[in-house]
Amino acid sequence: MRRFAILLLALAFAGAAAAQTQIRWYVGLGAGSDVGVIPVQEEFVANFNASQDDIELILEIVDNDQAYDVLATQIAAGNPPDIVGPVGIRGRNAFPGIFADLTPYIEATDYDLSDFDPALVDVYNVEGEGQIGIPFAVFPSYITYNKTLFDEAGLPYPPHAYGEPYTTWEGETVDWDLAAMRDVGMLLTVDANGFDAAMPEFDNNNVVQWGFGEQWTDLRGRLAKFGAGTFVDENGDAIIPAHWAQGVQWLHDAMWVDGWIPNAPYSGSDFLAAGDLLASGNVGMVHTHLWYQGCCMAGFEDEWDLAAMPTGLTGVPVAKLHGDTFGITSASPNKEAAFEVLVAMFEPENMVTLSEIYGGMPARESLAGSYIASFGENNFPDRDVDWSVVTASLGYADSPSHEGPLPAFRDAEQLYIAFDQRLNNEADLDVGSELALLQAELQLLFDSVR
Amino acid sequence: MEMLDAVQGARKTKARGWRRLTRAERREARWGYAFIGLWIVGFLTFYFLPMAASLVFSFFDFELTRPDEATFIGLDNWRKLLFEDPRVWQALRVTFTFALISLPIGMISALFLAVLLNSEHLIGKSLFRTLFYAPTMVPIIAGVLIWSGVLNPTTGWINQIIEAVTGLDAAGPNGIRWLNDPRIIYLSYVMIGFWAIGNAILYNLASLQGVPSELYEAAKIDGASWLRRLWSITLPMISPIIFYNLILSIFGLMQYFEVPYVLNTGTGEPDGTTYFYIVHFYRQTFQNLDMGYGSAIAWLLYIIAITITATLFATANRWVYYAGGNR
Repeated sequence: MRRFAILLLALAFAGAAAAQTQIRWYVGLGAGSDVGVIPVQEEFVANFNASQDDIELILEIVDNDQAYDVLATQIAAGNPPDIVGPVGIRGRNAFPGIFADLTPYIEATDYDLSDFDPALVDVYNVEGEGQIGIPFAVFPSYITYNKTLFDEAGLPYPPHAYGEPYTTWEGETVDWDLAAMRDVGMLLTVDANGFDAAMPEFDNNNVVQWGFGEQWTDLRGRLAKFGAGTFVDENGDAIIPAHWAQGVQWLHDAMWVDGWIPNAPYSGSDFLAAGDLLASGNVGMVHTHLWYQGCCMAGFEDEWDLAAMPTGLTGVPVAKLHGDTFGITSASPNKEAAFEVLVAMFEPENMVTLSEIYGGMPARESLAGSYIASFGENNFPDRDVDWSVVTASLGYADSPSHEGPLPAFRDAEQLYIAFDQRLNNEADLDVGSELALLQAELQLLFDSVR
Repeated sequence: MEMLDAVQGARKTKARGWRRLTRAERREARWGYAFIGLWIVGFLTFYFLPMAASLVFSFFDFELTRPDEATFIGLDNWRKLLFEDPRVWQALRVTFTFALISLPIGMISALFLAVLLNSEHLIGKSLFRTLFYAPTMVPIIAGVLIWSGVLNPTTGWINQIIEAVTGLDAAGPNGIRWLNDPRIIYLSYVMIGFWAIGNAILYNLASLQGVPSELYEAAKIDGASWLRRLWSITLPMISPIIFYNLILSIFGLMQYFEVPYVLNTGTGEPDGTTYFYIVHFYRQTFQNLDMGYGSAIAWLLYIIAITITATLFATANRWVYYAGGNR
């Protein structure tokens, strides 16, 4: 009798469990698959499941290397997850059309978006697809400068506040723009004989220290500092914005004429840590995102601080922005339940916890200031870093985003990556005609998928 | 006596055609099928069915992320492949150009090193054999990344050595650009290919050691030189292994992917010289997720590979020597 009662009880529990809606949360396209951060996500899942009886949240973590293929296979097999994320803008572009428009769920639940920057919310409003995400974690960019190298050269540090001028080593006050950055970058660049790039004896074939570099980004990322832009216009035609064309020439001159930005033969070399420019300790100023501080600066021994982006060619500074979100797949049969999970993820306390492990700043404006202060205290307790630069940079995000969608995204990406390789590798590149060729190739591609 | 009966029985059976198997033979056959059954299931499940499916996919507009929208488009993918996509012919041209350069160098080097390692005059044979084979144990991606450092124009040790020895301006941004100069890119890839030459050396070496020594002794008595012995005895006797290495090398070159993808990011730079056929396949199938077109690309490669293999086998009788008379 007792056994029968236990069996009935077990069946009752099983029935209750079966009545729950199962929601699969797929992690791997962006951050979140590193061993160290998995327990925090597991804890969120356990807490969520314990907090209610209607939904069973199931965490699926796939290593980043395999995550794209696994997700594509799951979708092809008719077995897609319900929630995918955190995923960046670029990761999302790799899967156009798989995310559902959240607008009906936002409206049905009257979800309050007032705590989010409308421009940031708009980044996830994709033409033809709708509001496919709500900003979760953001990664502003800025200049991280090596104070040790500045001190060695006897140069004043770049300004921390946007709009603040730069005081040169001669005591002159100038606007903090690309020209000022070039001037200070030239003085920071040194060849093996100790000449800096502003000296006539400087040997560009024998450089050991550089003024400026971009940390792990593609051509669009490198061009964003000249002004926000894109390779596609509103009619779907290929364009090269004028300030980007000018910027490309500027970059080529900086690498191959003046030598204060490392070209490809240098940046892949051992003394620039095979592309990890800042970590090499041989670059004075590096354009980085917040994720770089989170992932890669714990062991950096030189003194460093953060500075504002210089004014670009369009007359305003641009601090390109990376952002992570969570999407609900269009094929999910349980979108309403999945949205309930998203709402829980976006609760302030959960957003702080999860953002921290993803290395980003919570996208809720009310959380940003306190978060970034604690980020500094937790990660760099012994450093005197001006973290206000991070929150200030958020106000200069690029729109359109440098990671924005392009027709036939992957093929288009390959075209501009190939162009970027030529730019970085060829001293005698005819920049103008190569840009015209890039535009023509992009146009052909865009026409082919129209 | 039993053996004689069996042979006579077999002859009678051959004369009559099919015969009923005995109970023992049937039992033996069942065990035989049981042993190969798992392999057959594996082959059907993991090779034959996916291959058949990919052939079907090649007639569909099938994107991996939109399986519900897959539509039959007949020969459209094949028309695009053969007549409309210029990158296919560019990729084939690159693949075959590199094969023409790499194949003879790789084959001859492997044979040459095997002959050296087989020499009776070589001291420390085991050490040298281990050293030549050791790089094969390194995972290919790790090996390629090591090479990217070695060939770096500024800090790579090859340029450093050339500069130190010759006094030329070989290192630095204006130095030798092993991976970004279209004139020498294939030379660099061939150099990287030496990293994985250990297996071919090993096969050649094993084959060389199987050549009967009395043939050499007889030839020496007849006054044959070393070169003559190599040409008239060694090469014919190991020709089945040379044939085997040739087939494997051709297949390897047709699937050449890791080196260009890791070192030149699969863009084809410099000047399209590294846009290999499998790079094109990978981009279409796993980056653009266009399974239908990707399947057509894969099938074209299969057809080319089968054609080359069949041609080689058809001509093998003329240049491959099988001591037993059978292939």
